Amino acid sequence: MTRYIVRRLLWGVALLFIVSALTFVLFDLLPSGDPAKLRAGRTATPQAIAHIRHELGLDQPIYTQFFDYMKGVVLHFDLGYSFYSHASVKGLIAERLPATVSLAAGAIVIWLLVGLSVGIVSAVRRRTLLDRTAMGTALVFISAPEYWLGLLALFLFASDIGKLAVFPGAGSYVAFSSEPVKWFTALILPWLVLAASFAAVYARLLRGSLIEVLGEDYIRTARAKGLTERRVVMRHGVRGAITPIVTVLGLDIGTLLGGALLIEVVFNIPGVGRLNYDAINHADFPIVQGTVLLAALFIVVANLLVDISYAFLDPRVRFK
Amino acid sequence: MTTGAADILIGSEGRTDLLDLGRAGGVVYARSPRQLFWRRLRGDRFALASLAFIALLLLVALAAPLIVKLAGVPGPYVQNLNATDAFGSPLGPSAAHPFGVDQLGRDVFARVIYGARVSLEVGILGTAIAAAIGTVVGLLAGFYRGWVDTLLSRTIDVVLSFPVLLLGLGLGAACGVRGCVKGAIGPGTPTIIAIVALVNWTYIARIVRGQVLSLREQEFVQAARSLGASNTRILFTEILPNLLAPLIVYSSLLIPQNILLEAALSYLGVGVRAPTASWGQMLADATPIFNTAWWYMAFPGFALLLTVLAFNLLGDGLQDALNPRTTTLT
Amino acid sequence: MSRPNRPGGPLAALASTALFVLAVAGCGSGGSSTSTIPLKAGESPIGQQLTGKHRGGTLTVYEHEDFEHFDPGEAYGGQDYTVLYAIERPLYSYPPNTANKLVPDVAATAPVISDGGKTLTVTIRPHIYFSPPVNREVNSGDVAYAIERGANPNVANPYFHSYFNDVVGAEKANGGLIAGIETPSRYTIVFHLTKPTAALLYGALSLPLSAPVPPEFAKPLDAHSPTTYGTEYLVATGPYMLKADSRGKFLGIGYQPGKSATLVRNPTWNPHTDYRPAYLDRIDINIGGEPTVIGQQVLKGQNVVQNDSPAQSIVKEAYERYPQQITFTSGSGDYYASLNNAHGPFTNIDLRKAVWAALDREAIAKVRGGPLVAQPMTHFLYPGVAGYEQAGGAAGPKVDYNEHPEGDMAVATKYMKLAGYSSGKYTGGKTLQVVGSTGEPAEGMAQIVNQTLQNLGFKTHLSLVDQSVMYDKYCTVPAQEIDVCPNGGWVRDFADPQTVLYVPFYGPAIEAQGNSNWSQVNDPAINAAMRKAELVVGEPARAEAWAKIDEMLVAQAVAAPEVYVNQANIEGSGVAGVNQLWNSGAWDYDFTSLK
Repeated sequence: MTRYIVRRLLWGVALLFIVSALTFVLFDLLPSGDPAKLRAGRTATPQAIAHIRHELGLDQPIYTQFFDYMKGVVLHFDLGYSFYSHASVKGLIAERLPATVSLAAGAIVIWLLVGLSVGIVSAVRRRTLLDRTAMGTALVFISAPEYWLGLLALFLFASDIGKLAVFPGAGSYVAFSSEPVKWFTALILPWLVLAASFAAVYARLLRGSLIEVLGEDYIRTARAKGLTERRVVMRHGVRGAITPIVTVLGLDIGTLLGGALLIEVVFNIPGVGRLNYDAINHADFPIVQGTVLLAALFIVVANLLVDISYAFLDPRVRFK
Repeated sequence: MTTGAADILIGSEGRTDLLDLGRAGGVVYARSPRQLFWRRLRGDRFALASLAFIALLLLVALAAPLIVKLAGVPGPYVQNLNATDAFGSPLGPSAAHPFGVDQLGRDVFARVIYGARVSLEVGILGTAIAAAIGTVVGLLAGFYRGWVDTLLSRTIDVVLSFPVLLLGLGLGAACGVRGCVKGAIGPGTPTIIAIVALVNWTYIARIVRGQVLSLREQEFVQAARSLGASNTRILFTEILPNLLAPLIVYSSLLIPQNILLEAALSYLGVGVRAPTASWGQMLADATPIFNTAWWYMAFPGFALLLTVLAFNLLGDGLQDALNPRTTTLT
Repeated sequence: MSRPNRPGGPLAALASTALFVLAVAGCGSGGSSTSTIPLKAGESPIGQQLTGKHRGGTLTVYEHEDFEHFDPGEAYGGQDYTVLYAIERPLYSYPPNTANKLVPDVAATAPVISDGGKTLTVTIRPHIYFSPPVNREVNSGDVAYAIERGANPNVANPYFHSYFNDVVGAEKANGGLIAGIETPSRYTIVFHLTKPTAALLYGALSLPLSAPVPPEFAKPLDAHSPTTYGTEYLVATGPYMLKADSRGKFLGIGYQPGKSATLVRNPTWNPHTDYRPAYLDRIDINIGGEPTVIGQQVLKGQNVVQNDSPAQSIVKEAYERYPQQITFTSGSGDYYASLNNAHGPFTNIDLRKAVWAALDREAIAKVRGGPLVAQPMTHFLYPGVAGYEQAGGAAGPKVDYNEHPEGDMAVATKYMKLAGYSSGKYTGGKTLQVVGSTGEPAEGMAQIVNQTLQNLGFKTHLSLVDQSVMYDKYCTVPAQEIDVCPNGGWVRDFADPQTVLYVPFYGPAIEAQGNSNWSQVNDPAINAAMRKAELVVGEPARAEAWAKIDEMLVAQAVAAPEVYVNQANIEGSGVAGVNQLWNSGAWDYDFTSLK
């Protein structure tokens, strides 16, 4: 087991290194703006631009630039500085991460509550009208683009432009530390919209998994022992069916922490997703590199954790 | 959608009745898996309805100029600022413009119709390219195993470590003006198709690899091998035909996600180039005015929703037909 | 997603600009009545009271776009200027009600011009102090350093070589002392010029570059590339300062990139040395957000203004329902599609004329929000700039391709035929590279231009990229060989027609990078006329001379004109807002107060 974990860890580190290198090459081969020019300002002289290019190390060969960058990342956890605002990328990410985490955390709670309950009910009442309606609705939410749902939600419910002014609209996010109540109300709509498609996916997933498990021998045994149906389903059924959910949840959290880009854009939430989006628009490479690396880190770590915990979570695996 | 792929793989229901029929009473039916597949598909109302809708959509996309002409509305690129009010705000649905107009006075109905072209082109072509690459890679990895398999699996790991949307956004922006790979991949739609292929082939490759790993141990392959068939022959005449059904099914499940990916990238401004009509891009254009021009947000959005829904339903149906143990909806 | 398209920088003019507040009684139904709104240049502003209602309070500002620079040596453009002119004081400046009359600011009096226009002497006002941590009195050396550092590559002032090049030694300067700038006493600074262009230099001393910078504080920061003066640290001379810590660091305190900026009172500011009333105690600036949402928040809010152009739907709503809360400033620049005069099909003058004739300028005005905010452009000096009337006023020079702002395909076809395309459509086979900016209304304008090109038979490759990328990577880099940049525009730098025509159309000013002459106009006759007009002294004569050049530019059809713009500004119900007129027409925080 230890050997396995160590091997996975080493490969995870290697993966991050490769992802960094590829991002570096990608944006070097395919530049969308000249960073030195960006820094020098709109009408700077060629000498000034050459000077800045040298200062930024952009006149070095790409492998030297990459080596310097990785040295900074590994030795000092230094992700460089924005070409635009000159702010430290590490600082910007640290400043933006709480918004992304807030968004993800609330949405996860909602989609687990909704998705899992719907999944269980649908599985137990399989092929009833209730089940079909629930699964049909789920498929609609899976099929709807989340940014469109976001726009619809704003159109209907936002306090500034909505038809029914119920919730604060886009751009109302504040940090939890400054105004907790406002933080909460501002996030209600984004949470719901972000959670919608995930809840639908989880409901489908749990329903399928639970139906399969409820047909297994050990459930029959539990029923035979005279346990209540509720206990059979909740204790034994859900427990056995939850493994795929945990797997997917781990990966989803990993992906979301890298930034729920579309939702952050639609609701104007200053998270790392929007940081990346703005940076790509401005060709602010250090921020792009930093945010991609961060997102990849979360994905790799999530994969790692899921793989390692898999054995611990699945009773069938454990008892083998 | 970030979780769709995982959802597709898992999710099951014990609808074993059809399969059990074959074994019941020890009678062995002489039906090939392919016949069973079609038989089950024909019994799925939702899948058939979706299939009909998609066929209609394909027809609409192909005959877009004709439909626009028959509807009596201006073409999708005809600008007419007289169709906006004194402030330049677009006007809503009317007899002349059933779905209203956009900021440039272009007919939204015509643009929604033409938008189907982009969605289908990217969704189907992008997925097909991904499936082709994935099949080749999966075949090689599963069949030769050893270092080939290791190398390809590691490559897949790398691709999967990239955040999909950020990668697409970066590539879309970088290739936005002059294209990519020295212009070999043009900006706009070709770039989006390339992005779709790039982020999807790994998924197909993993499935194909798994299938090949099990197929190559099966008796008919062993038999062919003992008869002295070459590797190429085994790959193409024994293994590949057996991969066709799962390939169709899993590819069909990717199409709706890729339509959504195209729309998302276009929404974020790095997708299909103006003035080409794309639903995602129309939603982006609608964003600054959606509180006054509801029609501009509503119609492309519903078109996108219905199309993706149809493909999802069809995908579910195909998956059920292929493998009844993983029934997803009905 | 959308971003307002600001004219790209160098901006200029004499003559005044009119600002008017809509005096619509009640809630008008809008519509066609808007087209009758008079927009006369030279009119004194209506309803713009400079005496504030109330001293104190906090103004909240919303803006969609982030700032670019707070360094007075680097800042160039409307958004940055709104803050710059509240925190820094140049030698001269324009009070809100004038676009052409400079008043002494850090300077004590108007400059003394001698030596036939080759020497300019400025006396500096005593008792002006730098904000903490510097705290000392401003002297002539601080002004000299401020200008000299403009040539430092780490500062790289964008207009240094356009307006300060005639100072002796400036051409080769790189941040060190400039021989032509002398400081004979604590309160005197003298500029020696190689050419008799002191009048133009006087105008340029209204730009932020002349705002004093303390060398002992800024020099170590200017050694960084780029300088951290203005990105991390800053000291103020104006009534306000970016909130900062005891070392003068504002990054992360008074400015969070992409999120917010905070202006507080500068404790060392002495009101007796300044004409600014500075009613407000504090200005909180929120950056980012959808323009429609911002607009709603402002119209329904109280002590709040929007700093960038409101969205089109907001202009309409404000006009119809909140007429007291919207103002329009005319003479806020122009937009035109630059056509590549140096490379590709548009080296052919007849093809340029065909595009000019075919382009529907009224459609472009409409896409920007209609007649309240845009009028069809007919020549390059825009309303409010000296020479505008002499060059033809609203109708513009009388040439057939200029006569129909709604676009005239018959005239266009005539020029296509003259260019050698007998069918009236381009058949040259070359695909045009067209690069525009994302966000409305820029996208709409770019698409109208693109469609016009296609109507003329051109195959086009339209790319819409972020405005900064459009500038920095494509339209200002001649080597990219972009054929058409449909989102070009210009706002005067200060009150002189030269600042509208020289930088964007003077051939020798074409740069390999950071080029402002997007059309790459390099016509010997025009260049020669500009060199002569530069030396003309006196406002009427200068207006006449530059109007002539304007006519030459029209005759050459160097670019395809789009619209003249008015800046719309919206405020909350509790704000007595005041706009500046001399530049982009944005809010002037030094005069704005709360009711």
